[in-house]
Amino acid sequence: MTPAFPGGDLSTGWLAQWRQSLWRLRPADLDMVVLRHSRIYILPTPRGAAVICTLAIMLLTSMNYALSLGYAMTFLAGGMVAAALLATFRNVVGVAISPLVAGEAFAGGTMEFTLSLSSRGRDRTSISVGARTGAPVDVDLPAGATRPLRLEVPAPRRGRLPLGRVSVSSDFPLGLWRAWAYVHFPLTASVYPAPEASPPPLPPGHTGSDARRSTRSAEAELAGLREYQRGDPQHRIAWKAVARGAGWFTKQFEGAGGSGAIDLEWAQLPGSLDVETRLSRFTAWILAAEREARSFALRIPGTDLPQGQGPIQRRSALIALALYAPEDKAP
Amino acid sequence: MKAKKLPDSPLSRAQSGWLAALLLCAQVPLWSDVLPWIAIAGTGLVIVRLVPALNAPGYARPPLWRRWMLPVLAVAAAVGIRAHLGYFLARDPCVQFLFVLVGIKFVEARSTRDGTLLICLAIFLAITQFFYAQSIFAAITAVPSLFALGGALAALRASNAAQGPIAAQLVAPGRLMLQGIPLAALLFLLFPRLAGPLWGSPADAGARTGLSERMSPGAISELSRSDAVAFRVDFNGPPPDSRNRYWRGPVFSRFSGREWSASYRIQPGRFARREGPVIDYTVTLEPHGKLWLFALEHPASLPRPASEDDITGVSSDIAFLTYDQQLIARSTVNQTVRYTQRSVLQGSVMPVPGDATDNLQLSRNNAHTIAFARELRARSDSDRAFIDTVLRRFHDEPYVYTLTPPLLEAEPDPVDAFLFDTRRGFCEHYAGSFVLLLRAAGIPARVVTGYQGGEMALDGKYMIVRQSDAHAWAEAIVDGKWQRFDPTGAVAPSRVERGLGAALPLGEPVPYLARLEMTWLKSLRLHWDSINYQWQRGIVGFNIDRQRDFLREFGLDSARPVQLVAIIAAMAFAWVIPVLALSRVRRTRADAEVALWARACRRLARAGLARRPDEGPLDYVERAALRWPQWADLFLLIGTSYAQLRYGAPDARRATLLSKLCASVDAMPRARSLAS
Repeated sequence: MTPAFPGGDLSTGWLAQWRQSLWRLRPADLDMVVLRHSRIYILPTPRGAAVICTLAIMLLTSMNYALSLGYAMTFLAGGMVAAALLATFRNVVGVAISPLVAGEAFAGGTMEFTLSLSSRGRDRTSISVGARTGAPVDVDLPAGATRPLRLEVPAPRRGRLPLGRVSVSSDFPLGLWRAWAYVHFPLTASVYPAPEASPPPLPPGHTGSDARRSTRSAEAELAGLREYQRGDPQHRIAWKAVARGAGWFTKQFEGAGGSGAIDLEWAQLPGSLDVETRLSRFTAWILAAEREARSFALRIPGTDLPQGQGPIQRRSALIALALYAPEDKAP
Repeated sequence: MKAKKLPDSPLSRAQSGWLAALLLCAQVPLWSDVLPWIAIAGTGLVIVRLVPALNAPGYARPPLWRRWMLPVLAVAAAVGIRAHLGYFLARDPCVQFLFVLVGIKFVEARSTRDGTLLICLAIFLAITQFFYAQSIFAAITAVPSLFALGGALAALRASNAAQGPIAAQLVAPGRLMLQGIPLAALLFLLFPRLAGPLWGSPADAGARTGLSERMSPGAISELSRSDAVAFRVDFNGPPPDSRNRYWRGPVFSRFSGREWSASYRIQPGRFARREGPVIDYTVTLEPHGKLWLFALEHPASLPRPASEDDITGVSSDIAFLTYDQQLIARSTVNQTVRYTQRSVLQGSVMPVPGDATDNLQLSRNNAHTIAFARELRARSDSDRAFIDTVLRRFHDEPYVYTLTPPLLEAEPDPVDAFLFDTRRGFCEHYAGSFVLLLRAAGIPARVVTGYQGGEMALDGKYMIVRQSDAHAWAEAIVDGKWQRFDPTGAVAPSRVERGLGAALPLGEPVPYLARLEMTWLKSLRLHWDSINYQWQRGIVGFNIDRQRDFLREFGLDSARPVQLVAIIAAMAFAWVIPVLALSRVRRTRADAEVALWARACRRLARAGLARRPDEGPLDYVERAALRWPQWADLFLLIGTSYAQLRYGAPDARRATLLSKLCASVDAMPRARSLAS
């Protein structure tokens, strides 16, 4: 007999599945989620609870004093509250949400996750989307619109930062009810170490034969222009050429890959430094090297990144630093 | 996108405006029911808050004195109400206090949390007006407060920037209210009603017009100036003729020399002996805050709740009959009561032991009257002859029947003054002095008050008895049984036959509806009364009995509360589906510009310039602009705004663009004028 779920017996599987459908604790929403009734919760807001209590008191008063019109008014207000419940539900049901990308962040900053929200055929008013931490975002969507939605999540530490469970909620139209649904995308970002505030200057390039050159290595010389390619850093775009209408070009610096090439090595740093300070210094250096358009290699325990330059090199290096785990440290 | 609002943010102008609207909607219907200074203070404070200075941003952090204002003013108001009314812990003072409290709270309200509290207080205040009146008018005045409730809630929810145009702010709560109406009607009809109050009887149900426990000169003439309805009657069969419409109410045996009041005896009585056909009818009695129920003389049954099933034979007693033929209810008539009643028009009431002695009591004053009666009795052959002489005297001597008799307050002998001096009086003067004359002559007699007359409603289906029909007459033991004598009939016979309006001389302040001529205004008032009657019966009087009647029509009268709840739940579910589906058929906003553009294209096509299938909107309007250069600007505007709406990024300018497109399509020349 084969178990229904590999690696688990039936009862815990059931229980887990039920808990998952209630709380969405595992990131199991792999693609676009359309919010259906099975996912949507609805409860009165504090204001809604206060109004409902008042209506109950009004009902008791009408009963005691046999006020027919008191009943009528209480029930009319109650009908309005009930209609507001349905309106709140309607505002949320059918909204589609899908994961787009995660941004970049250094420890201590905020990470920006981008989701996409579609109204799918109905006007949506004041849909609030929020991760577990960070401020939720309110959006209005006309019928048929799809909007990107940027969620800012605090990134206090380097390492992996999952977006976590996101709640999509609304208290439109009267603020008496809050309808919400949980979605949990497996969207994870890497938080880079915070760059050291005032790092020492970059180590000297190892292939630099000319001492004079290496001292002024911070000032790479413009060698020429080449056709712009996607992914070139913004600060190297030849904006003057763009402004002239000549087209898109990227500035090329002479010797950037040669004489300035740096080796960033774990062992270079004084042994007294702790791990996080080392990672912060490497981060600061990588950013500096990138700014100066110099090629670099990164060798830390567990990672050996060959010489390279450009956004991909930068990203690989920063991710390596972000995910550096001390137990991998070489003796 | 905007930052999420804080749960407790300062009130914006729009929010305080909506709150003020809600508070005023709740306060205004209560103006006539609260003390004048409470009305001025409560409403004045709400208006003061609307002064722009108080809405300045700095108001969110008020100086110390403003924070102390709420408790100080609230205590002052409570003390004032206590001093004015003499008591505080009762319903009416609490309504007054709530009325002024919402004003005080509103002046110092700063945050949306204060707004929530105010909303709750205001909707409660809005139903307190039904303590005092449940008329159609009262119901209509409650509708704006429901509107304002929706508007205020929507305004409190939205953050400051997100308040839409005022029309949209009105439409959204209105739509919710309409959607809620079926559910409200369902609950109104099916929510189980109670037979009695939950906590004690509402003691201060308010002073009502109606007959009182005492009768002094002027009491009934005062009441007769009111057009208010006392009760309405449905007859099973033809109504009795006007001479027999004596609706018996409180009976008075004790006389202080000036004032008549009820005997101390409480003793059950027996029905009159039947000497003619019975008459069955249903009375819908307006609340009068007293214990008695009214029946035609003489009652032949105990009143039964009108909806009681006759077949079951189980009659719950709502009243009992006293020895002096009064119907006394078991609880104060504080809400409309409907009861079926049977009477015999001809019947005789036998005196009970004690009647003779009780009803011979005289007063120490009015010596002239007493001496006169004794002398007159000595000259008469029999009691009957004596009574005829007295009635003839009322008829022949210059006695005047008037609503404005001279005040006899200062007279030590009011009956003497009336009988021998002023000779002007209303029914209570005639009945009172008549009884005193009879007693002085040794004939046991008492005063009966109630109503005499009644007017058939326009549709002829029911009779209206008004306060202006209030009347007093006399009863005396003659030939061994109680007999009715109406001395007013001797003075002004038409009072008994045709009502007050016919009996009073010209120029008397007769209540409008008691007058005889059937002007259009009176006919309008009678129509209105008919509507009011249905309102009182169907809506205000929808109590546990009427509910049972209603359920019986569906065979649900024996349903247990659990079954009722199940029915309510099932029908509420049936309500949910169309309300949820309603928005699916609604046209989305995205369609608006398409419809407008299609209209513009159709018109141009009729004028001879059809859009090619592959042509974009901008190219098409350019072609149209070249063809009709005088309209070039308009066409280009239509094309560009359509393209922007349809293909541009959705943004805040959408609404303005859409209205611009709408206006320009409306401004397009007719196809014929373009073609020519």
